[in-house]
Amino acid sequence: MNAFSLAIKNLIRKPGRTAALTLLTAFLALSVFGGSLVVSSLQRGLHSLESRLGADIIVLPASAQSKVSFEKLLLQGTTGAFYMDASALDAVREVEGVEIAAPQTFLASLKADCCAVKVQVIGMDQETDFVVQPWIAQSYSRSLGDMDVAVGCKVEADVGETLRIYDENCHVVARLAPTGTGLDTAVYCNMDTMNHLLAAAEQKGVSHKITSDSEETISAVYVKVKDGYDIDQVNSKLNGHVRKATAVRTRSMLTQVSDSLAGVSRTVSLLIAAVWVLALIILLIAFAMMAAERRREFAVLRLVGTSRRGLCRLVLTESALCSLAGGLIGIGAAAAVVFPFTTLIETQLGLPYLTPDARTMLLLGALALGVTVLVGALASAWAALRLSRTDPGATLREGA
Amino acid sequence: MMKKAIFPILILILSLVIALGSQTFLSPCVHEDGSFGSCHWAGRAMLGVGILLAALALLSWARKDAYLAVMPAALLGCFIPGTLISLCKMSAMRCRSVMQPAMILLCAVIAMLALIGYAVNRKSNK
Repeated sequence: MNAFSLAIKNLIRKPGRTAALTLLTAFLALSVFGGSLVVSSLQRGLHSLESRLGADIIVLPASAQSKVSFEKLLLQGTTGAFYMDASALDAVREVEGVEIAAPQTFLASLKADCCAVKVQVIGMDQETDFVVQPWIAQSYSRSLGDMDVAVGCKVEADVGETLRIYDENCHVVARLAPTGTGLDTAVYCNMDTMNHLLAAAEQKGVSHKITSDSEETISAVYVKVKDGYDIDQVNSKLNGHVRKATAVRTRSMLTQVSDSLAGVSRTVSLLIAAVWVLALIILLIAFAMMAAERRREFAVLRLVGTSRRGLCRLVLTESALCSLAGGLIGIGAAAAVVFPFTTLIETQLGLPYLTPDARTMLLLGALALGVTVLVGALASAWAALRLSRTDPGATLREGA
Repeated sequence: MMKKAIFPILILILSLVIALGSQTFLSPCVHEDGSFGSCHWAGRAMLGVGILLAALALLSWARKDAYLAVMPAALLGCFIPGTLISLCKMSAMRCRSVMQPAMILLCAVIAMLALIGYAVNRKSNK
């Protein structure tokens, strides 16, 4: 009988001990895989936000509330409706150093006929837009027609379906790729559709006008700065030139998100480290106790001709098998908890969160499994070494 | 005796979590104006599935064949929120982000436990 089949028989013969060791290693693998998956999703979410924002500066209505609302809209997908006069767009374009200025108008729907949630509608100028348009182009190659909408991946409406917003029928022509940000919960349309919806909202008593005589309103202007111009200087000029508006550098917004993300990552890493230290100590104690309990069994094995090395191999094989099974169970449990509850995790964290691609996930799983098996083997190595050094005759005489 | 009881007990506990959870901490969306969306009825259906599964769990304690009824009932529970009864149209809403994944996960675990329980009972009877 070789070490492998003997190890299997030993594990089956003591199901309680095997289950305890397997559970312990499963807990280790769960914490590593689950934790690294969350951290990696947060990092991917931040990269996605960086690439989605694309603009150097965003000009928003002057009130401090609009900046907070915009950040919430971007990160958490809450609806925001803040407006400034459309003349602000011309004022932005007049500033030296501005290469492209693309306006967007936001409208929060009333509760949609599907459910009691407000949907954020974002209208953009398709000719100048450089922020949303490239993203839409990934899923829909044509321009959005009148009353056509593209929906974020978290709006559960398929292409061809009709969304009713302020009692107006909007045709879904595209579902956009996930970004892991609040933009996934929005509905996108062209400016004509937006003006139509604004008029419909007006009829329903939802006013978006700043003054009674204002004709057109916009919510934000995305600015791309010309090469060779200092973004900070252009930002200052915009703040001085555009009345009743605030220019915000996207980098400062991203820095805030990045800081929050670093905090969450640090906490998760600390928790993983704490779990690991605790589990390693418990594993060491468990293997030490197991070695003490099985001293006579190993002594008999030595007396019937098993070499020291064979004994070591037996203990290591047993622990590797337990760790492997535990690792697979732990990774499976982490996947069963993290993947279905992705939206909940994202909502609770309030940070951009985008699940990694399949290749990265497989890599993370393999890494967690490898590390778990290695730790299990290391924890048992000391016990194996101690057992192989004891004198079998003396051990048996002690117990007699 | 313990070996025979462990699976019905686990299934019973999880079934009660489905039944009670679908009306409390795993409930569908709560509408501010007091109106009901279709997700509300999905929650009600899960209450029924939970009670049915709990009854089958008690039955499977006495008769191992009852495990065979637990499996399709649990699979039915997997398909109720979202497939058989539609939910709200936003992924971020409670019915989609909490109730649906939790119910599918619980029902899948129950189906798996029933399968293992049936296999273990069959083996020990042989």
